[in-house]
Amino acid sequence: MRLAVHRRGLAYVMLFLTAGAVLLGAGDAYAMRVATLVGTYAIAAIGFQLVFGRLGLLALSQGALFAIGAYALALSSVHWGWPPVLGLVLSVVVPALAGALVAVPIARLESHYVALATLGLAQLVLLAVTNLEVTGGANGLYGIPPLTVFGFDLSDSWRMLAVVWVAVAMALCVFAWATGAGRAGRLATLRDAPHAALALGLDPISNRLLAFTVAGALAGLAGGFQALGLGVVSPAVARFDVMITLLAIAVVGGRGSVWGAVTAAAILVPLPEVFRGLEQAYLLAYGVMLLAAVVALPTGIDGLVRRVLPDAPAPTPTPAAPKSRKISVLRVERVAKRFGGVQALDGAGFDARAGEVTGIIGANGSGKTTLLNIVTGLETADAGVVRLDAIPLLNHSPRARAGLGLARGFQHPEIPGGIDVLATVSVAATLGAGMAALERVGLAGRARVPATSLGPAERRRLDIARALAAGPTILLLDEPASGLGAGERADLAVLLCALAKSGMAVVVVEHGMDFLLPIADRLVCLDAGRVLAAGPTDAVCRDPAVIAAYLGTESAS
Amino acid sequence: MHMTITRSLMTLSAAVALAIGMPATAQADDPLAVSVLVPITGFLALEGTAQRNGAVMALDNPPEGVRVTYDVADTATSPEVAVTALRRALDRQKPVAIAAPIFGTQMLAMAPIADRADVPLITVSGTAKLTELGHDIVFRFFPTDAVVKVAQARYAVQDLGMKRPAILFQTTAYGQSGRTELVRVLGDLGVAPVLEEAIDPGIKDFVPALERAAAAGADGLLLQLHSGPTALAVRQAHERGFEGPIVAGSALHQPTTAALVEPAALAGVCAESASSPVSDSGAEMAAFAEAYRQRFEAEPDAFALAQYDGMNMVLAALAAGARTAEAVKIWLAGNRFQGLAMEYVSDGTGNMAHDAIILCYDGLTRTPVVRKRYDNVDGVR
Repeated sequence: MRLAVHRRGLAYVMLFLTAGAVLLGAGDAYAMRVATLVGTYAIAAIGFQLVFGRLGLLALSQGALFAIGAYALALSSVHWGWPPVLGLVLSVVVPALAGALVAVPIARLESHYVALATLGLAQLVLLAVTNLEVTGGANGLYGIPPLTVFGFDLSDSWRMLAVVWVAVAMALCVFAWATGAGRAGRLATLRDAPHAALALGLDPISNRLLAFTVAGALAGLAGGFQALGLGVVSPAVARFDVMITLLAIAVVGGRGSVWGAVTAAAILVPLPEVFRGLEQAYLLAYGVMLLAAVVALPTGIDGLVRRVLPDAPAPTPTPAAPKSRKISVLRVERVAKRFGGVQALDGAGFDARAGEVTGIIGANGSGKTTLLNIVTGLETADAGVVRLDAIPLLNHSPRARAGLGLARGFQHPEIPGGIDVLATVSVAATLGAGMAALERVGLAGRARVPATSLGPAERRRLDIARALAAGPTILLLDEPASGLGAGERADLAVLLCALAKSGMAVVVVEHGMDFLLPIADRLVCLDAGRVLAAGPTDAVCRDPAVIAAYLGTESAS
Repeated sequence: MHMTITRSLMTLSAAVALAIGMPATAQADDPLAVSVLVPITGFLALEGTAQRNGAVMALDNPPEGVRVTYDVADTATSPEVAVTALRRALDRQKPVAIAAPIFGTQMLAMAPIADRADVPLITVSGTAKLTELGHDIVFRFFPTDAVVKVAQARYAVQDLGMKRPAILFQTTAYGQSGRTELVRVLGDLGVAPVLEEAIDPGIKDFVPALERAAAAGADGLLLQLHSGPTALAVRQAHERGFEGPIVAGSALHQPTTAALVEPAALAGVCAESASSPVSDSGAEMAAFAEAYRQRFEAEPDAFALAQYDGMNMVLAALAAGARTAEAVKIWLAGNRFQGLAMEYVSDGTGNMAHDAIILCYDGLTRTPVVRKRYDNVDGVR
């Protein structure tokens, strides 16, 4: 059964073992040298897939970390006389630390800012190794001794090939560890659903730290092998060409796929060798091939392999109810928030009691979503108080608030790619709790399909299930019924009532009065950031100010 | 008795001929392989292409009785590509000699591997370290910085009267090595540069560096830049109105570099080199230049000529009976060879070229004239 689940991986393993056997059988030293180079780049690319593919960060520092690893080995063996095998250890440790240092200053940066910041680091490394005396300047460091272990020379073509490919296997294991234990889902959520990730209490900093450290270690190891293979390290190893090669391998291989990366390395690294005979025209041929690969395989090599040879669905776990907590009331008082010249909230507040559905209504721009954002910590308040029973929340991080039982659904659900429905809902909970949440929203039968394959209505249910999986005490939903059909709205209404009945405080921001009024125990009507009326649903609906400002006479009747 | 001895000797001779001589004769009929591994792409494409052209011209016209085959491979500008190309050549072509890259960083990576294989590398790389590492397989047919930088610095100081030169050098091994040598020779002449500015090969704007040179009170420029940057520096110095003389590195002697600059901007600008095929009016050189133009539709330069001379010396070794890489190496190390550019002889470490010239432009054409010769600068020959 487990073999069927991993049949794609098994196919890749068989492919590479066969290729290795053919290579060793042929005994061609040049081909082995190229295969060693493929393995070297594959190791660095596996690390890059963690940061670029899984975290979605275009970190252009991976080439620089590769260079740091190469120079660490060269310095230790040429200047300090360390045996190369110890230098190899250093080439892992130093770039891993450098990777961690990179992660800290860019912890809160996104998209192109990450690219710019890491590009700056790459340039610094290039400048340093080119101009520092200790790194040998533009000539670099030469005379790196061959890799020996207990006097046994491993630098021969086939021995070096074996060492590097054993390291590739180890890199694959490290990657599996770094994305195991639910971390793949968390990384995907941080990448594609950053707001949901925050509301769920995922910690972007620790996850980035781990990813950058592992990526740095693998890039450094690859750099160390590069230095051993060449016997010399020069600033060429820190040039942007290395980064471009790693980026091309990651994209052509398929975002986030290590098997794809190894396969792409096996294609792209030897490609310049194949085209080298074309002399000046080879760069053109290489570029055309690369472009053709990107256009023909938009999901990369691994995307194609997945279509041809899909993994069998993993078994679904037994549903298990999450730990439940008890609270009595969420109290929001006199909250103010200004965005530039716009006063979004001006003393707004509400109470949400356990066992009740509290509806928040108001015209567009009245401050409803901002209020939910402040309660869950996605926005900071300029003034006001938010308490969960006696616990003041405004000084707590979103993660701490999630830990206290606050959960959030979004107006536009953010759904991560590359993981299935069950993994999506279980990012902040156990698989059993995730399964229970899916059962609750009616998605249990879809547990093992890719989350991005769900339709709009199913995505809304998935968003709610993700919030429910952690066993919240307060559930805040932003327009959960928008875009749903009549039947789906009715199902959702039943679910929300049942959740309230189970002791949860349910807060629903909604424009659809036909959906909200029948289920809401209490209503809060906002107008221009202030509370226009609050109280039992019937009373608020009869309030002349609410009727005039929002409901209109038809709804009120 | 005499007959017996004679018969015995004849029998022995036949046996030796069978054991050694006959196979040797059979091998002698086989063409020998030479590999041409040079940077045809990247920032050294101009120099590498000149190398390739020079090597190919020589290999296509071997002496009577010598048969060679050759393969050309691009080493681009990274040691990784160069090493891979070298390994492929060693494994698949079994060459008796290799025309090797001008790029010193690549040579530093290739030399230990070629040393283990005992295959001579025939190069025009100027990186000083290359022949200081104890490898006996590197043969450099272009004068080292210890020769050409002497010519450049001496001409600037002794003939042009520079007292406060500024040095603009590339951040590559070529640039750093040349800068070190220039500073040393200037020091020997009692002159200290007022500015030493490192320039990345990718930099296109030299105005800031020229401004700093002017601000430092420089009365002349010494350039140690690759082809493209040399052209940019000379052009921008002219446009900015820099008044002091300019003595450039060997890159400026290349017709492909001079073609990037208007003749007026070249007025009074000089450059060091090992030779200048387009300036030399001797019959042999003129024939070489014409054949080169016909074949490659380009003007020959000193790198092409040095590589041509280097490969001709390899062919001379083969003509003299060398049949293995080791034999070629020994012949190169132990013989003199009169090439087109100069006479070559090893200094014991593989430095074969010991002469330099200074070329200057008149501002009317892009063809420089030889202004001064510095023969046997290092006293080896």
